[in-house]
Amino acid sequence: MRADVADILITEEQIHAKVAELGGRIGADYSSSSVTLVSVLKGSLPFMADLMRAIKMPVTIDLMEVSSYGGASTETSGLVRILKDLSSSIAGKDVLIVEDIIDTGLTLNYLLRYLRGKSPRSLRICALLDKPARRLVEINIDYLGFTIPDEFVVGYGLDFGEFYRNLPFIGVLRRELYETT
Amino acid sequence: MTDQPRFAHASEAELARILNYYGVRWEYEPRTFPILWNTDGKVVESFSPDFYLPELEVYVELTTLKQSLVRRKNRKLRRLRELYPDIRVKLFYGKDFRALMLKYGRFDLAASLSGLEGQLMPERLDRQPSLRLAVPARPVESAAPRLPVVDRESAEAEPVGASDHPRPSRGTRRRRGRRAFIGAEES
Repeated sequence: MRADVADILITEEQIHAKVAELGGRIGADYSSSSVTLVSVLKGSLPFMADLMRAIKMPVTIDLMEVSSYGGASTETSGLVRILKDLSSSIAGKDVLIVEDIIDTGLTLNYLLRYLRGKSPRSLRICALLDKPARRLVEINIDYLGFTIPDEFVVGYGLDFGEFYRNLPFIGVLRRELYETT
Repeated sequence: MTDQPRFAHASEAELARILNYYGVRWEYEPRTFPILWNTDGKVVESFSPDFYLPELEVYVELTTLKQSLVRRKNRKLRRLRELYPDIRVKLFYGKDFRALMLKYGRFDLAASLSGLEGQLMPERLDRQPSLRLAVPARPVESAAPRLPVVDRESAEAEPVGASDHPRPSRGTRRRRGRRAFIGAEES
């Protein structure tokens, strides 16, 4: 699996340092209350697991999953669907969406609209990676780990064909794995 | 979003489907911006961005050309930004769109939008190198059927007289785009 990676873009050590930094900032900003972390499956799972342990204050967590364009649901409904909804109410709570990567912003834009409808006290965004080259919807990211170039990246939750999520670093997938000349 | 316009290119139809999927309102080529006038004041060049997203107040121009062939479009976009500084336009390059298709698992479509074979008229295919997309050895679900694509911009980006094959008229390109869109909808 490591051999499928052309370059390591962000090392395991860099990820851990950044997650600790983000956790510290989040803990300081929400110091007078607790925060509900909402992770968007599946890619953000490793980030969520590390981030929640880096936040030194009371946190609750919840998980959501939304269908992705091109997935099986596309042919049946033609519209994005909530595959896994929140387990408990977020009304009146401080909510922090935890995302692995933001590129077009379409999924997050949909989630923001959906979650705002559930009347949280505040709604912020924490993303490990930002890939602005493909942005269609401008999103204000409150806590950002790294801005990355427009490369096909895998690892630390990010997949290609559902694989590579368990790599401990973020790397650029070898081009010949998804195209041949 | 309800009445589908006649898209000039299958990639535009695909972007419309993506926007529909995520509930983003769009309009197709709603406005033409004059960008060059002759000495008589007549408009000699204009630019019509492909999409306008009214809720986000941004225009989107989608180009599936090879990266090396987008110079003309980049020049027009620069001119547009000079003349209309308050207008926000996002230029979506072919490689961006192709990467998006890869992300969504639409490997076949990504290959057809590669900017090489997918952008060429059939009679020109034999002159170009082949670019094929390899689906990972491990099974990947929901690879979409390959869309037929039509040429829109490869001819547009070439210097006048550079091609043996004249650029199809806009009406022809729209009809082809429409057929491609209908084909994709029915598949």
